[in-house]
Amino acid sequence: MNSESPDLTSIETRFGHFAGNPRDVVTLVEGLPGFEDCRRFLLLSSPSLEPLVCVQGLDDDRPAFLAIDPRLVEPDYRCRLDDLQRRRVGASLETPLLWLALVHVADGGESTVNLRAPLVVNPERMRGLQLLAGHDEYDTDHRLG
Amino acid sequence: MLVVTRKRGESIVVGDGIEIQVISLGRNGVRIGVTAPRDVPVHRREVYDLVVAANRGAATSAADSVSALASSLRNRVPAVVVVPSEVPDAPLRLA
Repeated sequence: MNSESPDLTSIETRFGHFAGNPRDVVTLVEGLPGFEDCRRFLLLSSPSLEPLVCVQGLDDDRPAFLAIDPRLVEPDYRCRLDDLQRRRVGASLETPLLWLALVHVADGGESTVNLRAPLVVNPERMRGLQLLAGHDEYDTDHRLG
Repeated sequence: MLVVTRKRGESIVVGDGIEIQVISLGRNGVRIGVTAPRDVPVHRREVYDLVVAANRGAATSAADSVSALASSLRNRVPAVVVVPSEVPDAPLRLA
């Protein structure tokens, strides 16, 4: 685990330079499969990246991802949290939740989005989860563009 | 790997608070019940592996095509997602 603290207000990522806010650090309470040693992720946005969001890992090898609100890809996209998952992110039934689906941009420029296993974040507590079987009707490599 | 023979209703205890029980045996498979503490995620192996592969792929996104993708998405999608700090006083609402 890498313990040095980068300056989150001015952070260099694989996807460019961002002005971050320490309030936008989300803890994925069960980790991210494949990157189990990274729990803290900084959500970053910029006008040139919108509607994509950069999800920059802050621990271990600091993996960096792109993500998008799945409802911007499929307007009818709905996913439910069960009671246990809701408790794990500290959310009540009324808590508005932030949904993010990880995007993969291939070398040739073709891109896919994982609508099957979205991330859900409770913005009030900044705790999140990846729902491994969040939405069975979609694939992990849903065509994006 | 520990290999043991279990009959229906019998179980295995793993560490503190994890129990794996054989519920029933059928032609198409074995039904297994898992009892685990709330903070221990339990997943089917193939589901976990699928997400591991997807996440590892997503971590290698080609950075040079990203602006073009973002630009084409802006022309397609009706609204943008905001990160929480940009909504200072209200609960986050996505358009």
